[in-house]
Amino acid sequence: MPTKRAGASPAPPSITKSLSSGPKTLPPNASVFDIAHYVWQQYLATTSERTMLLDVFMVFLVLVGAIQFAYCVLAGNFPFNAFLSGFSAAVGQFVLTASLRMQTSNGVPKEGTKVAKSKDESGQVGSVSHERAFADYIFGSLILHFFCINFIN
Amino acid sequence: MRWSLSFFLFGFLAAVHALSSSGNRLLVVLEDASEKDSFSMFWSDLEARGYNLDFQSPKSDQLSLFELGDRAYDHLLVLPPRSKGLGPALSPKNIIDFMDKDGNVLLALSGKSTTPSAISSLLLELDFHLSSDRSSIAVDHFNYDTISATEKHDVLLLQRPGQLRKDTKSFFGGEGVLAFPRTEPHTLGNESPLMAPILRAPATAYSYNPKEGSFSVEDVGVTGTQMALVSAMQARNSARFTLLGSVDSLRDEWFSATVQAPGGKKTETANREFAQQLTAWTFKETGVLKVGTIEHHLAPTAEAPDVELNPAIYRIKNETVFSIEVSEYAHDRFIPFEVPSDDALQLEFTMLSPFHRLDLQPTSRTENSTIYSTQFTTPDQHGIFSFRVNYKRPFLTNLEEKHEVTVRHFAHDEYPRSWKISGGWVWIAGLWSVIGGFLAFVIMWLYSAPAPAASKTKKSQ
Repeated sequence: MPTKRAGASPAPPSITKSLSSGPKTLPPNASVFDIAHYVWQQYLATTSERTMLLDVFMVFLVLVGAIQFAYCVLAGNFPFNAFLSGFSAAVGQFVLTASLRMQTSNGVPKEGTKVAKSKDESGQVGSVSHERAFADYIFGSLILHFFCINFIN
Repeated sequence: MRWSLSFFLFGFLAAVHALSSSGNRLLVVLEDASEKDSFSMFWSDLEARGYNLDFQSPKSDQLSLFELGDRAYDHLLVLPPRSKGLGPALSPKNIIDFMDKDGNVLLALSGKSTTPSAISSLLLELDFHLSSDRSSIAVDHFNYDTISATEKHDVLLLQRPGQLRKDTKSFFGGEGVLAFPRTEPHTLGNESPLMAPILRAPATAYSYNPKEGSFSVEDVGVTGTQMALVSAMQARNSARFTLLGSVDSLRDEWFSATVQAPGGKKTETANREFAQQLTAWTFKETGVLKVGTIEHHLAPTAEAPDVELNPAIYRIKNETVFSIEVSEYAHDRFIPFEVPSDDALQLEFTMLSPFHRLDLQPTSRTENSTIYSTQFTTPDQHGIFSFRVNYKRPFLTNLEEKHEVTVRHFAHDEYPRSWKISGGWVWIAGLWSVIGGFLAFVIMWLYSAPAPAASKTKKSQ
């Protein structure tokens, strides 16, 4: 939202400043390409390694799901159970990975990740540790894989 | 000499001939005992074929069609009475009850006297219709006997009937001319599948009432081939009822009479053969079907050559073989039943409505039966199905067979494995690439523990 406005009209510099913790700020009349490049640089600069790994995996899942769906549209849906399990494996894995990303990528890594954060420490209620989130993720994924393999026969 | 020879011959034939397929007790209802002798050849023919004839007058006190609730006779032959009716023992209800208990009835009419209203109401119940005055007579000015009926033209000369339809068997065919003297014609009710005409009047015949004296063309009731002279009704329990319009055609004088059609040659009548055919059919010596063994099983394959016989359960899309053994009774024994050329014995595989209706083909013959079978794939629908053979044709007893089986769907391990279907390889690859990607992700995640967290835990220690 702020980047769009920056591209469309002269925006107050305070917005770009507040957004940025990276190397440079964006001029108010930057081109679309520049904005995209800037966002990309910001992403590379501010995202943790694990979150980037999650994002790469999610992009991979989107690709796999898209290929399977395109094949179903082009070649017909027989055997339908194979399509359902292959496609829903990709979608389900994407959802699980997205929820893992929500639970683990809350800005920069903080202190005391081993225990559940208390209210006064992070301001979040009921959030879980990264290890607990990852264990849940593995558990959910294994169930998903079990069902999909069983269903594809 | 000739008589004794023929009696000897018939005695011999009686030893060879067995009985009717449904018993040999024949009740002959004859009011006038003096008339018995004029049918002597007819009686001797029947006795020679193994029937025990019991002559009774309709007025007799001990006459009863039933004894202790069961029928006392297997067959009933009623000759037209002189008096007003047939008495209490032979009321229409009793005769219908007799047929309900699988008794067969041959009823003869005569144009000489008025038919009693009791018989008329019995016939109405079976959907045979006489003329309203019940005393009309069939006349034909083109097919009459010039020797005996020069003036009245009331002795009809007819060819013996052939097939009723192309898909029926002919039980009354043959060479020769039939003489039908003083025939009371009847018409058949509409749309009754149980009735079939055996002998129709010629197209030039008509009926009129000779007692009304003067005859006018306006009085003509029924004409031509809508008049039936001999008809059959076969009830749903295959009990048979035959209506013969002319009792005189059974008399000795007409069994071996010489007749001459207008402009034709003198010929002998074939009444005797026709009477034999008619009684044989009515009393179930011909046209009786019997079902032998019924088998159904899976089609044997190379992997499973031994199959279970008549299993109670099939799976959808099973190759199934059904076979039925059918015999036909012909006078004294069972012979292989052959379906008429334009007809087919059919198998239905039904659940409420037929999913398959297939022609059964004769596959093998034994000495006295034909085995019909067919092979089909059970439909893609599970439920309670039944193999049904429903064969109901004029002049043949009804076949109705129903055998229930369960058709189940595929068991979980009966589907082909996923990799056997090449169309699904893309999705299989998709699934395993997701799983492989997940494993790679997990490993990389575990090896990319964030350094700041590690350093901070070190600091805290």
